[in-house]
Amino acid sequence: MTGKWQLKDHEAEQRLFNRRLTAGALVIILLFAALIAKLIDLQINQYEYFSARSDGNRLHSQYVPPARGLIFDRHGELIADNQPIFNLTIVREQVEDLDETLEFLGTLIRLTDDDIEQFRNRMRRNRVPFSSVPLRYVLDDEEKSKIAVNSHLLPGIAIEPQFVRSYPLKDLTAHAIGYVSEINRDELDRLTEEQRENYGGTNHIGKTGIERTYEELLHGTVGYETVEKNNRGQVMRRLDRTDPIAGKNISLHLDAKLQVAAEKALGDFRGAVVAIEPATGGILAMVSKPGFDPNLFVTGISSKDYSVLVNDVINTPLFDRSTSPYPPGSTIKPFLGMAGLHHEYVDYDYTIEDPGYFRLPGVSYRWGDWTLRSAIGGGHGTTNLQRAIFQSCDTFFYDLGNRMGIDTIHSFMSLFGFGDNFALDVGYARTGVLPSRDWKLETRGEPWYPGDTINSSIGQGYMWATPLQLATATAVMANKGKVVRPRMLRSVDDVMVEPIADDYAGDVVVADADYWRYIHESMTMVVHRPTGTGAFRDYGGAYLTTAALDKEMPYQMAGKTGTAQVVAIDQSIRNSDDIEVSDLNKDHAWFVSFAPSMNEQVEPKIALAVFVENGESGSGVAAPIAKEIIDTYLLDILDIDFAALEEQAVQDVNLISQADD
Amino acid sequence: MINQDFVRQSTGFYRENSRSRNFWRALHTDPPLLVGLILLCCFGVFVLFSASDGDEAMVRRQALIMLVGMIVMFIVAQFSVHFFRRWAPSMYAVGLGLLGLVLVIGVEENGAKSWIDLPGLPSFQPSEMMKFIVPMLLAWYLASRPLPPRFKHLFWSALMIAIPAALIVLQNDTGTAIMVFMSGVFVVLLAGIRWRIVFSGFFALLLVSPAWYLFLAQEHQKNRILTFFDPYRDPTGAGYNIIQSQIAIGSGGVYGKGYGNGAQSHLDFIPESNTDFILAVLAEEFGLLGILFLICLYLFVLVRGFYIAYAAKDMFSRLLAGSITLTFFFYVFVNMAMVSGLLPVIGLPLPLISRGGTSIVTLFVGFGLLMSIQTHGRARRT
Repeated sequence: MTGKWQLKDHEAEQRLFNRRLTAGALVIILLFAALIAKLIDLQINQYEYFSARSDGNRLHSQYVPPARGLIFDRHGELIADNQPIFNLTIVREQVEDLDETLEFLGTLIRLTDDDIEQFRNRMRRNRVPFSSVPLRYVLDDEEKSKIAVNSHLLPGIAIEPQFVRSYPLKDLTAHAIGYVSEINRDELDRLTEEQRENYGGTNHIGKTGIERTYEELLHGTVGYETVEKNNRGQVMRRLDRTDPIAGKNISLHLDAKLQVAAEKALGDFRGAVVAIEPATGGILAMVSKPGFDPNLFVTGISSKDYSVLVNDVINTPLFDRSTSPYPPGSTIKPFLGMAGLHHEYVDYDYTIEDPGYFRLPGVSYRWGDWTLRSAIGGGHGTTNLQRAIFQSCDTFFYDLGNRMGIDTIHSFMSLFGFGDNFALDVGYARTGVLPSRDWKLETRGEPWYPGDTINSSIGQGYMWATPLQLATATAVMANKGKVVRPRMLRSVDDVMVEPIADDYAGDVVVADADYWRYIHESMTMVVHRPTGTGAFRDYGGAYLTTAALDKEMPYQMAGKTGTAQVVAIDQSIRNSDDIEVSDLNKDHAWFVSFAPSMNEQVEPKIALAVFVENGESGSGVAAPIAKEIIDTYLLDILDIDFAALEEQAVQDVNLISQADD
Repeated sequence: MINQDFVRQSTGFYRENSRSRNFWRALHTDPPLLVGLILLCCFGVFVLFSASDGDEAMVRRQALIMLVGMIVMFIVAQFSVHFFRRWAPSMYAVGLGLLGLVLVIGVEENGAKSWIDLPGLPSFQPSEMMKFIVPMLLAWYLASRPLPPRFKHLFWSALMIAIPAALIVLQNDTGTAIMVFMSGVFVVLLAGIRWRIVFSGFFALLLVSPAWYLFLAQEHQKNRILTFFDPYRDPTGAGYNIIQSQIAIGSGGVYGKGYGNGAQSHLDFIPESNTDFILAVLAEEFGLLGILFLICLYLFVLVRGFYIAYAAKDMFSRLLAGSITLTFFFYVFVNMAMVSGLLPVIGLPLPLISRGGTSIVTLFVGFGLLMSIQTHGRARRT
């Protein structure tokens, strides 16, 4: 025990080792016991919790977007369709180097800086991790195959099919039908919680026109499916599915053929046509020209295309002329005339001597008749209301308006929808201005002057109306006072839409029903009263440009021309030397019309307003356009055989008279 | 001994038995240990097949490595344990030399620069060899000293452990360093180091650890510790592995989801599901019962290891066998505790279950040594 080498006690050492071995075994048992306790805690005590967590990991509920309802015209022709397109999408988490990948993609397919910028914008929006974000819409076959061939070099890049809106009539329906486009932040914020849920799987929302008005009908109800996803977000299995409910198919009163005809009739002019079926208020055609291709907006318009549309200050293709106000000019004369008759300021025999101008007593200013500004000169001579309408005598209406006063004009004209939007489902239409004392005080802070009334009497000054309003008023005129509110929607899923309670705006009732016949007759004379070539005092109508050119015309139409001075042109545009721009100073041309008129057998089938921007002459430019449209509608689309009906009526009368004998 | 011989020769029953015993002894194979290992290997391959999502190539490779391991074990068992005792210091010297060499010409793989790739030789990891050379050397050193070891013996022992462990840490392979370190520490513990030294060392570690945490620990080490205490502080980053692993284990319940039905593993939510976290796959698919079965298999092997250590005839064999068995347990426990959230995440595989390469062969070298101890000691004396 004291030396350097100690004697080894083998027995004692083995006992020591065995004790240590036993201690080791005990520690092992303790540690395994602790481990088993931990496992029991995890697998028995917390089993429910972890089971739920495990399901939460792998099971994902995802939205299935509904198919958007289709839009048809009144004959079942498709106006808005859903077409499959193929999009290039990227899952950011699976792409190693985004810039490199984008560069490589650029060598395979057409990829503009604009596409990339819009892609980055979409990326920045709130998005679920591992979800795919579209980079390019509408790949063509060649691009698809190029991507497919190189797919092994492009992890995270996929081609996904999607159904999107397609508008086969393109420019023709751009304004009336509108378009859908990607939902933006503002629109999402505006949705209620419930709606936002419903839009969970939807990329597009109606932005303008019918697409916007009937968004709720067209969208449908979102569906859900439960899928099992792996750690990388790939769908491994579909477990459960609630099918989406497709949006409702709607059909409109719109007549695609008439829409085409109206657009064609406008020719190279900028302008608008609104046609209404007087019996129902259904809008048969609503054209604003020039239009634009709404399909561009569906998949995100490139900023280049967009700037072309926005920067065209002359044609302003994005601007909807059919629902925007202009001075209506002489087109309001029949309505004013009716006001005069109803309130007994004139009767059938009342005449004025027109010197070509009007003067207020004690005021030196002369309000000139349009004849003063033309070669005719010198006024209309002895003029009654009928002549004042078909010759469009300004002086007569200066006098009538002055005597009626603005209050009477306002209250009577508002019955026809001026200054108001009678349309049921064209909510975005402007209301124009039907001026009144209150209106002027409110907006201008000035009292109403008698001169204001005189300007308003020929549809100038403060008076503004949209083509839609004029078509509406003309339809009321054609209906002899029965007001039907204009509407686009005709049926939903083939069920006709019944008129709703607030459909009714109150009919126009006049003191003597014969006044309607009188005004109809006057308006018919605008088109049909022959103007002898040499007859000096027969002018102002539209005979020479319409009925005179069509001796075989089988029906009569009522109309009223209008030529309105251009107001509010930007000074820089006005001063331009450009020939095209100087055209912008020309007067706007109007023609309101309904047909057939003065027909015993057939009630008026169509009422319309034609507006031609800088068209110069209502009779020369707008009236022939109106006639062409009405011809198409009555003779081609409705295919009414007026001669046969006439003959049938004559026979019926004969039969009755024979029976009487 | 004489008594035993008498019994063996006296009855026919024992003769029959002893004949088969002699057969296995001639092969230098311990049948119970062999059975336990084969069962573990089969179960391991079975679990790996599901964990790898039916990757047959991977499973075949694993089976092949296990077969190679068995052969290596068989070869190691043919050498008498005294051969290893004689050569232990030389092997240690060579091992240290190779560890030094690795630092100079080593090849990096998976972040650890631990491979030597000499022309004409298969590439190998010197650090793996140290897992059995270090306990061998310590057993050699302490067995010939009076036990319990004196302080100066402990000092030299500590040096013998620390030098290779430090060299391996320099290779950036902390997991192996810990194993080498522990295999040596177990020898010292079994050699009878005084408990008060053990406990004071333990308390010293406890006291020092906050200082280590504050001043020496690297960022990722701190992260691991923090994540251990609260995995949800970074559920998609540092805490992801342990959270997903616990979800897998917990959702397995008592009976499990069934073989091949583990959603967590088959949908790739469990990271490293073939290697370090394979226990989570097992727990998800076979439940608590499956883990208990595995623990029983391990216990069977451990008990046999303890018996071999207990029955060994000299102190070198006892210390070596005890250390090998405890190291094997340490391996098993650390992995299981890490996967179930009892310990911070340390990159150690589950022995004989996780997919592996050299480390499996190293394990079998250890079992070969156990078999050598069990079979040679007696054969020599008869």
